[in-house]
Amino acid sequence: MGSALLNLIPSLGRSVIQTQGLLSEISAFLFEVFKEIFRPPFRVRETIKQLHFVANESLIIILVCVCFAAMVTILESSFHMKLVIQNDSMVPGFAAMLILRELGAVVTALLLTSRVGAGFTAEVGLMKITEQIDALRMIGLRPIHFLVVPRLIACILGAVFLTIFANGICLYSAMLVSEIYLGFTPATFLLAMNRFVEMQDFWFSLIKAAVFGALIPLVSCFVGFRTQAGAEGVGSATTKSVVTSSIGIIIFDFVLSYLFSFFY
Amino acid sequence: MKSETKVGLLFLGSVLVVVLFSYYLGVLSPFSDSHTLNIMYNYAGGIEEGSPVRVMGIKVGKVRKIDFDPGFKMPSGEEVKLRISISVEKKAWDSIRKDSKYFINLAGVIGEKFLEISPGSLEASALTPGETVRGEDPPRIDQLISQSYGLAGKFLEIMNKNEGSLTSTIAQIDKLITNINRTLVLVDRTSKNPDIARLIDNAVKMSDDLTYLTRNLRSKKAEDSYELVHKLLFRLEGLDGPAIKKFFQEEGVKARLF
Repeated sequence: MGSALLNLIPSLGRSVIQTQGLLSEISAFLFEVFKEIFRPPFRVRETIKQLHFVANESLIIILVCVCFAAMVTILESSFHMKLVIQNDSMVPGFAAMLILRELGAVVTALLLTSRVGAGFTAEVGLMKITEQIDALRMIGLRPIHFLVVPRLIACILGAVFLTIFANGICLYSAMLVSEIYLGFTPATFLLAMNRFVEMQDFWFSLIKAAVFGALIPLVSCFVGFRTQAGAEGVGSATTKSVVTSSIGIIIFDFVLSYLFSFFY
Repeated sequence: MKSETKVGLLFLGSVLVVVLFSYYLGVLSPFSDSHTLNIMYNYAGGIEEGSPVRVMGIKVGKVRKIDFDPGFKMPSGEEVKLRISISVEKKAWDSIRKDSKYFINLAGVIGEKFLEISPGSLEASALTPGETVRGEDPPRIDQLISQSYGLAGKFLEIMNKNEGSLTSTIAQIDKLITNINRTLVLVDRTSKNPDIARLIDNAVKMSDDLTYLTRNLRSKKAEDSYELVHKLLFRLEGLDGPAIKKFFQEEGVKARLF
């Protein structure tokens, strides 16, 4: 009992020190990234290449997934409303609101995490363990400026573009489903949507998208830079990066939704 | 295709989607075919920017802006302090006339507020875009409730204060009704008595005779008789006592002679 307690205290202290070290590393990383964003040269070509990887190559997957998510949302909310008040005339309105305020941005960001975030971590991690990052430093290139900044900008822009498309396709598929299965004409759908949805919902979803878009490369590159040696290290880093940024997205979604609720 | 072109296309596409969104949500309206109209209220009962405007129940526009204008007076001199600017589609514009009325109504399960415009008559002249008109203030449900609440309170107070007298009044009314009932029973019983029936019968006959009499009294013949009697009396008036005496004496003598 006594020895267990004695062992507990140092392990507690160790974890506090580790956490503190991690926090200082994170803040140093964030500070560095923020500083490097505004430092020339701006690597436009590399940014566009990353944007192509983030946005264009993810477009189809994301559109298909959010399309189905939107269909499920509208069918479920119609079912629930019929269960509760035997009337689903308001369903297009608040399903559209839910899609715009939550679904579009969050589903897009989670899909981007698993596709792009994992890719970034693997790329950076492999560069780390093959000492390419040290080589970059040796030839006078700043690794964060060279690797992180283009990915960050590309991912923010890509997430915003993808969310715009996702919102559009979500509402379109919701409209189709509500026409085919629930008997709303597109005009009634738009009218009910107009009653609830305002332009600020759309802008808020884009703000969310930008925040999630920034979160993904920051987390994945940070984890990538800390990759341990070996193929196993890259694998565990990738897993860790996807899990962390998914959790981050969910938490930031809550924080932003809470903040935006003050604007209504 | 180069990746740069693809990214550019993606960017253009997303801009297009944003524009479409703003169009459908009514933020952008490049093909605007509506006129604006300012409606003044003193109480607008929960109407909001973006609330629908309906003419004869059909949605033709929305509330654009709500302003407070404390110094505003209607041409009639009335102070009206809330200006609601609405847009109305051109197709419905001609239905709105000088004598149209502007109500604030409630619709739907969620109690959505909308502005209803009653169509005006053709004789009234048309409105010019941007004109300021007076709306019908909606009834204040809250005031109504508080007033009726006060009224109910007063009624209860009166009831409580006069409980004793009210009870006795009711008891007396009850007694009165019992008495009336008894009287009615008596009357009923009496009317079935044969003597009484005969009495009533006779009374009826008597009144018939009286009617006949009075009718005759009022006839032309009777009036002539009155006239004659009147004349006679008039002539008799000139005769004084001794003359009459003398006359009767003479007559008496004559009578005796014959």
